[in-house]
Amino acid sequence: MDDRRPDPDALIAAAEAETRGRLKIFLGAAPGVGKTWEMLNEARQRRAEGRDVLVGVVETHGRAGTQSELGDLPLLPRKRIEYRGQSLEEFDLETALTRRPDLILIDELAHTNAPGSRHAKRWEDVETLLDLGIHVWATLNVQHLESLNDTVARITGVRVTETLPDRVLEMADELELVDLPPAELQARLREGRIYRPDVATRALDGFFREGNLAALREIALRRVAEHVDGDVRDYMRRQGISGPWPARDRILALIGAEGTAPAVIREAKRLADALHAPWIALHVERGTDPMALVAPLELAAQLGAEIDVRAGPDLVAVVIEAATRHNATQIVIGRARPSPLRRITGRTLAAALLRQAPDLALHIVPVTDARPRPIALERPPWIAWGAAAALVAALTATGAALQQAVPMGSMGMVYLAGVVAAGSLAGLWIALFTAALGFLAWDFFFLPPLYRLTIGSVDDLVALLVFAVVAVLSGTLASRVRAAARSGQVRIESLRRIAQFSRRLGEPTTEAEMMAEIARQGAGILGRAVVLALDGEDLRLRAAEPPADTLDEASWAAARWCAAQHEPAGRGTATLPSAAWRFLPMRTVRGQWGVLGARAVPDRPLDTTTVQTLSALADQAGTALERVRLANDAAQSAAMADTQKLRTALLNSLSHDLRTPLTGIRGAAETLQMEGLDPAQRRDLLVSIQEDTGRMTRFLANIMDLTRLESGAIQPRFAAVALPELIDAAVARVPGLDTVAIDIAPDLPPVRADAALLEQVLVNVLDNAHRYAPLGSLVRISARIGARISGGRVTIGVADEGVGIPAADLPHVFDSFYRARRGDRVAPGTGLGLAIARGLMTAMGGTIEAISPRPDAPRDGSPGTLIQIGIDREGGAA
Amino acid sequence: MIETRILVIDDEPQIHRFLRPALEASGYVVDRADTGTEGLRLAATRDPAVILLDLGLPDLDGQDVLRRLRANSAVPVVVLSARDQDSEKVQALDAGADDYVEKPFSVAELLARVRAALRHARPVNGTASEHFSAGALDLDMARRVVKVAGEPVQLSPREYSLLTLLARDAGRVLTHRQLLTGVWGPAHIHDVQYLRVYVGHLRQKLGVAAGLLATEPGVGYRLLEAM
Repeated sequence: MDDRRPDPDALIAAAEAETRGRLKIFLGAAPGVGKTWEMLNEARQRRAEGRDVLVGVVETHGRAGTQSELGDLPLLPRKRIEYRGQSLEEFDLETALTRRPDLILIDELAHTNAPGSRHAKRWEDVETLLDLGIHVWATLNVQHLESLNDTVARITGVRVTETLPDRVLEMADELELVDLPPAELQARLREGRIYRPDVATRALDGFFREGNLAALREIALRRVAEHVDGDVRDYMRRQGISGPWPARDRILALIGAEGTAPAVIREAKRLADALHAPWIALHVERGTDPMALVAPLELAAQLGAEIDVRAGPDLVAVVIEAATRHNATQIVIGRARPSPLRRITGRTLAAALLRQAPDLALHIVPVTDARPRPIALERPPWIAWGAAAALVAALTATGAALQQAVPMGSMGMVYLAGVVAAGSLAGLWIALFTAALGFLAWDFFFLPPLYRLTIGSVDDLVALLVFAVVAVLSGTLASRVRAAARSGQVRIESLRRIAQFSRRLGEPTTEAEMMAEIARQGAGILGRAVVLALDGEDLRLRAAEPPADTLDEASWAAARWCAAQHEPAGRGTATLPSAAWRFLPMRTVRGQWGVLGARAVPDRPLDTTTVQTLSALADQAGTALERVRLANDAAQSAAMADTQKLRTALLNSLSHDLRTPLTGIRGAAETLQMEGLDPAQRRDLLVSIQEDTGRMTRFLANIMDLTRLESGAIQPRFAAVALPELIDAAVARVPGLDTVAIDIAPDLPPVRADAALLEQVLVNVLDNAHRYAPLGSLVRISARIGARISGGRVTIGVADEGVGIPAADLPHVFDSFYRARRGDRVAPGTGLGLAIARGLMTAMGGTIEAISPRPDAPRDGSPGTLIQIGIDREGGAA
Repeated sequence: MIETRILVIDDEPQIHRFLRPALEASGYVVDRADTGTEGLRLAATRDPAVILLDLGLPDLDGQDVLRRLRANSAVPVVVLSARDQDSEKVQALDAGADDYVEKPFSVAELLARVRAALRHARPVNGTASEHFSAGALDLDMARRVVKVAGEPVQLSPREYSLLTLLARDAGRVLTHRQLLTGVWGPAHIHDVQYLRVYVGHLRQKLGVAAGLLATEPGVGYRLLEAM
């Protein structure tokens, strides 16, 4: 019972239809049958039932009946568009979208919007409305359907220019035929209810002839019947009712650059409709002008075809491969004029396909109205003809000069070489020309009777004929090789460009640079390029090549559309084609981030190749920008983590340094309240409270010092300072520092410093050495005049025998709240001492640095640290 | 009277300065160690009844000291910590510390913790530990009866085993990990939300005695020995 399960595709389509707006089309065979009237009439009933109905656009054509039928329906004001001095009124899509009615009425679906509107066609506006869940009622005359364009033109002799793709009709959830027998329609026309009387008379003789109307009516009836048929089929598929239809057909249409393309496309579409089959438009690239294909391929896409562009030297093989790939059952080709040679050999495309793929149905479209179009064969320049003649002359002269060495019969080979050379260098025409000249020259100059175009022997005749055949064949082959090489060249060029994007877009490290590079690359393809990036809701111009500040309004509209819909817009697309720029969406995995705009300059047109290259650029741009953003994010979060670490260190440090004395104070105070303490213990506890209070005061003073230092509030008062006394005073101020070795050079001059500040520096450095060195180890203090090279400065060194400072930490030891960590432990102290020391030294114009391990450290002992202070001697550098 | 030795391992002289008189005034004998190494040596030679251990030592990490102590001794350890990171405390408790106080701590609180630690260290003697009573709560573990203000209270098996686990170590903080392992098994050591839910239920059922069940934020729970 498996095959009775509902078709999943049909269920999905049904589910989609529920979120989309529903489209109802009032279809008529001709103007004046009363579509608009019918639509308005029904709409008023709906409004009476309480639905939110809005008249989007209705053309009353001044017909009284229609006008009165409008009644009290709310009307959407038209949008005015200025175009070449004219003021045109169009359906206002934007306002309709903001207003969001439940049901909107749109007259004349096939209408072409004024240039500068968002969409080229009104039905595209309708598509947007439907996408956003607004129900639409619209009117349409059957002759506007794209696939019927040829038929209608044949029947009525009038070619309708405003056409719309058949899939719009297929999109309709409901189709209502507004029917009027031809005689009644003519009667209406005569009564002047459709056109003004003078126009009406002309119309009756032209389009509105009874025969025309009958034919159009039949077409309309058939389309509605087909639609109903489709509805029934859809229903049956949804419900899992097995039907009488055969396995799905697939149609492959071969689109060439010849004038047959539109006819082939329409035929394929009709066939696809009749068979309810999907269809594929295949184009095989064979060095044709890409511009010639833009229109046919766009038409095919509009008519619902899947587009497939392939390349290959053997057309038949490529077509058969594509047919197999797409599971095609039918192939539609145009009847191109075969070359005379092919006609003789029977090697036409049709014949080859029939021979090689007998299981495919082949449709050959007659090209009745194909405007004869010159086959775009490149015309060799005159110089090529001249060169070919010169080549033959040169070969002849060489032959004549070597007459003794080269047998006459071999001259054919010499000319043949010339033909191949000409073919591969200059193409088919020159090859054939060279072959003809060679033929004549050989006969004239070398074959007896000499200097006459007659042939003496049968052998020579055979040789000449063989030469002719071989020359033509090899010339053809050589020219084909050349063509293949050329088209390969074009592909290689575009591949090379794409590879270049990757390389170039790999370099920038900031978003701004990246956008500038994208614009540069875009301009390299098409002449001008802009990068617009999304900034919240709106787009901002971020880079342009050549530099530009803004775009015109129409281009902005196209760019915004492109950004909002993630689809190309602007020139060469279906959306806002009147814009000067073409816009392509650029997106990253996180979503749309901007659009790439490109504008053609005269010598670089917008053809399929450039569009492909631009798309490749837009795709790569997204990836490249993502890379830059991720790299920046990573750098930023690393910086954030560093800041966070610093804050944590600072808080830990503050908390530790305040908490330790607080614990002492609190513990001592509480212990003092206990019974059973002797007086000595009480005294000691009181002293300890005093000490801890002092410690906290010092800590707070340190913080204050540092703050003042950092704000530049400390101004040193310079004087001549004698170091021995200063060092003694500093040592005395560091509690617990007992084992000190002081080594002062005997002839040490006084230094120029602020004595109080320098003493503080020393205290801090000594305190630090004391804390980090093992208990009872030696702290060495030295002071001497530095090397001449340092300007005769005085150097004070403080060396300890501690564990030293890891090389990675050395640059940070003078930072605030920095503490060398040893394992998980933090040495007690404020983490401010060295920071203050450096601040003070800087204020006094001196230097301070840390060296670890200290230069004189024993090989097997503790590495230790040497802090070196440099300060000017009194009287300046001598 | 047998003297009770307490070993204080801390590198801050100021701490020793007030802890020694405070502990001595309470009748303990105090040993002082300024480094981890010295602390480990004294712990081995002096056989202290309780060790007060600072986690920030100059030579060894406090956690290391704790692990080495636990390798061959069950002596109660109360951690003195100046660090406010909960993870440090939890780590220490999980590594075998019995309790902790945070600097700056109250001397009275420290002494109470020391007393509790000493009590738990005493060998359990039969039925005495099968009964717990504090405030309005009365827990008879032999008969599985829980009474609050004399009224029997119905507890689910999990609530009951949670309460007895806390009561057996009353006065001590038990970490989330220890409680989860004890009640739910080692597979659930990260399901702290179970605990929150069950402690909530337990508090509701304990009514007037709910205040005995104290939360140690970020660390665990403690059943107080008195209101």
